[in-house]
Amino acid sequence: MASPEEVAKAFQEHYYKTFDQNRAALQPLYQDNAILSFEGQKFQGQAAVIGKLTSLPFQQVRHHISSVDAQPSLSNGLIVFVTGQLLVDGEANPLKFSQVFHLAASGGSFIITNDIFRLNYA
Amino acid sequence: MALPGQTTPEGVPAFKLVLVGDGGTGKTTFVKRHLTGEFEKKYEPTIGVEVHPLDFTTNRGKLRFFCWDTAGQEKFGGLRDGYYIHGQCAIIMFDVTSRLTYKNVPTWHRDLCRVCEGIPIVLCGNKVDVKNRQVKPKQVTFHRKKNLQYHEISAKSNYNYEKPFLYLARKLVGDPNLHFVEQVALKPPEVVIDTVQQAQYEQQLQDAANAPLPDEDDDIAE
Repeated sequence: MASPEEVAKAFQEHYYKTFDQNRAALQPLYQDNAILSFEGQKFQGQAAVIGKLTSLPFQQVRHHISSVDAQPSLSNGLIVFVTGQLLVDGEANPLKFSQVFHLAASGGSFIITNDIFRLNYA
Repeated sequence: MALPGQTTPEGVPAFKLVLVGDGGTGKTTFVKRHLTGEFEKKYEPTIGVEVHPLDFTTNRGKLRFFCWDTAGQEKFGGLRDGYYIHGQCAIIMFDVTSRLTYKNVPTWHRDLCRVCEGIPIVLCGNKVDVKNRQVKPKQVTFHRKKNLQYHEISAKSNYNYEKPFLYLARKLVGDPNLHFVEQVALKPPEVVIDTVQQAQYEQQLQDAANAPLPDEDDDIAE
C-alpha cells in the first residue's frame, strides 16, 4: 500500500500536468457529485466543476508546486494540501495559490470528491 | 503606495491609479508603453500587483501616477478589496473587438465604486486599430449613464495614449485647463492606425453623445 505522501505526489503531478495541457481531460478525475470551491464560488457535480475549469479565460497556465501535504481521511480517502505558484498567459509575474483536495478510494484508485482553490494575495 | 496626499521623495504629487477590466483587454500592454514607468516598475508579490510609476510633466509641474496592474488574477474571479483600497483614480478597460469585455464593464465599475467612492474614472475602449471591431462607437453608452470620461485608444499604436491621463490629472489637480508640456517617452508604435477611419469613429462618438440614452442597462444584444 502506497503511503499518503506517495499517492499525493503522484496525484499532484498528474493533476497539474493535465490542468496545464488540457483542462477538459480532468473530468474523469472528479467524482459525479464532486464539489469545487473556486475563489469563493461553489460548483457541485462533475459537469459543473469541469464547466468552470474549462471556461477560465486564460489560454495558457503553468503551475509550479512548492509543497504537498497529505493525511489519510476516515473513509480510506486522502486529504491533499498543495501550495505553489502559477503563471497565466504571457504574464511575467507569478501568482501564489493554495489548493485542498479530498480524494476518495475508488476501485483501487482515487477520485476527487472535494476541491478548494484560492489565489493567495492581499 | 501613493496614499492620499502622498508625494514622491522629490515632492512630486503622486496618485494611485487603479487599472481594471477583463483579462486580455490590453491593460498590461497599455501600461507598458510608458518607458520610464516600465523601467521603474516594481512587482509586489504579496498583493500580486505590478506598480508602474508613470510621470507626466504639466504646465503646473510634475505629476506621478502609481499605476496598479494585476498579474492576471482577474482571470480567476473578482479582484480583492486590497487592489482598490486608497485608489484615487481609475481606468476601466474593454476591448472593442470583444462584446463580452464591454458587457462586463458595469461589473468592474460596481466593484470599483464599492471601495472607491467618487473618484475620477476613465472608460477606455482599446484595440481600435483592429479592423473588425465588434463594439461600435454608438454602442458605447455606459460612461454617459455614470458620468465617466470615455476615450478610444490603441495601446499598440500609442493612439490617444495620453488622453486618459490628461483627464485624470485635470480632475485630480482641479484645473480643467491643465495640459501636458512635455512629450512622454513611449515605446515605438507596433501598428499603424487608420487615421481616416478613426476620425469617423470620433465623429460617431460625437453624434452618439447628442443622441438620447437607451433605457435599458443591456447596452449590447448578444
